[in-house]
Amino acid sequence: MSKTYLGEFEELILTMVLVLKDEAYGNVIVKAIKDHQHREVNLSAVHVTLYRLEDKGYVKSNMGGATNERGGRRKRYFQVTNAGLSVIQTIKESRTKLWDLIPQLQFNS
Amino acid sequence: MKNARPSKLFTAFLELYCRRSLFESIIGDLEEQFEEDVNTFSVTKAKRRYIWNVIRFFRPGIIKPIIKTQKLNQYDMFKNYFKIAWRSLTKYKMYSAIKIGGFSIGIAAFLLILLFVKDELSYDKHYDQGDRIFRVINVHNDPSNFGRGSNFPAQIGQALRDNFPELEKVGRLISSDWFNAGNNQFRAEDNLQSNYEEGFAYADQDLLEILEIEMVYGDQKSALSKPNSMVISKRKADKYFPDQDPVGQTIILNEEESEPILIGGVMENFPTNSHLQFDFFITLTGEEFWPGEQTNWCCWNYSPYIRITQGSNPKELEEKLLLIKDNYIVKNAIESGSSNVDNIKKYFSFYLQPVANIYLESEGIGDDFSHGDIKLVWLFVAIAIFILLLACINFINLSTAKSSNRAKEIGLRKVIGSFRSNLIQQFLTESILYSAISVTLGIGLAILFLPYFNEVSDKSLVLPFAVWWVGPSLIVFILIIGLIAGVYPAFYLSAFKPIDVLRGSKSKGSKSSKLRNVMVVFQFTTSIVLIVGAMMVYRQMEYILNKDLGFDKDQVIMLQGANTLGNKLSTFKNELLKLPEVQSAALSNYLPVEGTKRDGNTFYKEGRDKIDKDVSAQCWKVDKDYVKTMGMKILEGRGFSDRASDSSAIIINQTMAKKLNLENPIGERIKNWESWNIIGVVEDFHFSTIKYNIRPLSLVLGNEGSIIAIKVDTKDMAASLTSITQTWDVFMPNQPVRYSFLDEAYARMYEDVQRTANLFTIFAFLAIIVACLGLFGLSAFLTEQRSKEISIRKVLGASFQVIFQMLTFDFLKMIVISIILAIPIGWYLMTSWLADFEYRTDISWDVFAIAGIIVVLIALFTVSFESIKASIVNPVKGLKSD
Repeated sequence: MSKTYLGEFEELILTMVLVLKDEAYGNVIVKAIKDHQHREVNLSAVHVTLYRLEDKGYVKSNMGGATNERGGRRKRYFQVTNAGLSVIQTIKESRTKLWDLIPQLQFNS
Repeated sequence: MKNARPSKLFTAFLELYCRRSLFESIIGDLEEQFEEDVNTFSVTKAKRRYIWNVIRFFRPGIIKPIIKTQKLNQYDMFKNYFKIAWRSLTKYKMYSAIKIGGFSIGIAAFLLILLFVKDELSYDKHYDQGDRIFRVINVHNDPSNFGRGSNFPAQIGQALRDNFPELEKVGRLISSDWFNAGNNQFRAEDNLQSNYEEGFAYADQDLLEILEIEMVYGDQKSALSKPNSMVISKRKADKYFPDQDPVGQTIILNEEESEPILIGGVMENFPTNSHLQFDFFITLTGEEFWPGEQTNWCCWNYSPYIRITQGSNPKELEEKLLLIKDNYIVKNAIESGSSNVDNIKKYFSFYLQPVANIYLESEGIGDDFSHGDIKLVWLFVAIAIFILLLACINFINLSTAKSSNRAKEIGLRKVIGSFRSNLIQQFLTESILYSAISVTLGIGLAILFLPYFNEVSDKSLVLPFAVWWVGPSLIVFILIIGLIAGVYPAFYLSAFKPIDVLRGSKSKGSKSSKLRNVMVVFQFTTSIVLIVGAMMVYRQMEYILNKDLGFDKDQVIMLQGANTLGNKLSTFKNELLKLPEVQSAALSNYLPVEGTKRDGNTFYKEGRDKIDKDVSAQCWKVDKDYVKTMGMKILEGRGFSDRASDSSAIIINQTMAKKLNLENPIGERIKNWESWNIIGVVEDFHFSTIKYNIRPLSLVLGNEGSIIAIKVDTKDMAASLTSITQTWDVFMPNQPVRYSFLDEAYARMYEDVQRTANLFTIFAFLAIIVACLGLFGLSAFLTEQRSKEISIRKVLGASFQVIFQMLTFDFLKMIVISIILAIPIGWYLMTSWLADFEYRTDISWDVFAIAGIIVVLIALFTVSFESIKASIVNPVKGLKSD
């Protein structure tokens, strides 16, 4: 169990990368967040967060996938590492545990 | 359909600030976004969003770090460069030696010449008020007869003082051999022994202040203010009055005990870089050489120095000085009935010569000082630069020629990831290393040869190591030379394409040989011009020394100090004539070499003094044996004899006869201030430097003089000298005999020509060495290049001659071109140098032919070293390696 805590945006991005599996990179993440969460995020914020996550060791990146729309430039793909995976697990567990303690919050099926 | 593109400006901005590692993916994402936006929205909106995104990306985490961590590694790179440079240097020892050797020679020559030029340019720059000190020169603007002179009549001092408030001070100088100026017999009153001393001049008191002469004893403002006083230099004071203050002591000159002179002060020795080199100043205060002399405008013997007030304009003053011309000179000429009045009015003007220019820019002024020539100074600077250029060319040629040796290294470096700029840095580092070694060696060579150079150039130069700016300027110098020589090879070598190199096909050497050949031609043209120059100067020197001068200078001994014999003179002369070797002897102060007395007079035909133009001529007082002793030729009439009437007889030279328009001069009467009867015409002889035309001259009888010219005919000069000395000692036991030789005195008049000849030879020699070094390296290299070709030719049956010819022919072609180029350049330079001499040797074809042959032989010799080796070598060796 890691002692560092993820920020809200970092958690969002990290989760997104997991969702997108092997195809996670800057633009796709922005679009996915827009589609799934109806939330406009800026590309630069996404990039910076990804680099921060990489520094923390929760994601790893590799280059590849040059296309014409990008003027022949490669993309930087991100994948979640085992550390990142475990941190997500930890978050989910601790959050669920906490929410279970709220008496009124009942899930209406 | 044209594709919309996002803002180039902001893309550039992004590229500027973004971290290198992130840049590619970020800009890729931005472009992808842009393309989507163009489809989702409009082009304009897409562009706007792009710009907004670029701005948003400008945040920490994306921006490059400010401290560039890459630069920290440069130190290691340079270490590597030096290491590789050193290895390359030691691997190809011969080529490195040639490069460094040539450079060192060039730098040594450059340094020596720089010192020489610096010294020449430093004359008379030490005055505090130097920009206000001038020498007044008169100018004769007649285009057919242009002349300048530094001498004026006696009253010029007062005339200048009275009329021009802009003149703070005016002081006159008499430096020419006139009365007691020049040389004298000198002794303190209580001594018995007189010593011969030189360096006497007459000076006004004000001159001491104008020339800012520092006084050791006595007061600068009054040392010469009393009549019959003098100031002596510190070194003479140390010689005659060691460790005492000699002010107030009495001096006797030339045993004239009735006219003692008081010492008014002791002055500091003149620095070596001053145009004035006097040891004795005799005052002009109260001096009048003959009654009325000081106010008479007839004789021009005084040289005025002035100091103008602060803020005065010398050019305006020159114009104002024309007042003097009108009020004094013209007035005087009219009064004395001279026929030159119109000439004076039309052509006479003044020129104020700044004191700093006197040493170098007094061409044609004809004062008695020794001068440098500004033209020569610039010529030497040009030569220095040329020799340095030659060395640089060697470096460039050899570096580019043997580039194939470095090709693999260059290719490899590029493959591993060097940028071209890195390679350029590397090769510039190499050339700076060479430059540093060469400069150090060059300085060593300069130190070694400085004494010899001082001898040749007649100076005492020192390398200025004590000055604080020596270190930094040396470093700058090394860098500049390294850069100049290294720039072209650096660019050439760094341009190699790795694929050509590693494939092994390129033997990049024979290409771009055009530039190389041009440089070789340049080197040899320079060398040939220098050789031609040296030969011509030597020839002129020979011409000068051997020309028929109109008198016989060989085997003539000049015995000084004869005036001290007093009335024992004629007895002494007779004793001399008894000696078997002595052919003839004559007494006179006037001899046709510089350093003896001169006396300029004005002559005109008797009775026609207001009608004809008068003639300026020398008037020499000689004795009746003079013409015979000097070996001069009487063309018309006769020489002097014992006749009583000969006391008013005069012999004139051909030029004087012509100037006086005398068809039959014998029997005519001419006048200066006495009347003379012309009894003979002597053949023109040179009595001043042959740069100038022979001027009019006359001889009259006079029994005064301090020099006895003795004509001997002997094979044993030493023995003759001993006999003469013995004879002298009988008459003058207290005075050591002092003599010199006429031909030596004559040669000394042309010391500057001799010096030029020597310097030219040295530099020609150096230039040839440097050029040949280059040629040697080049030929060695090219032979190496073609070793395979040579081996194959040998196998196919080529003989030794064929190979040799093949290798040397190309070089010979270049030399021939050099010769052709050098001919017009050499011709032009030589003609303009010889134009200074009125009497000169001809420029003949054989000079160029000889120079050309010398160069061809030397070049052949150089090239044949390698060619012969190549022609003899076993062809197997050349083919084995492939």
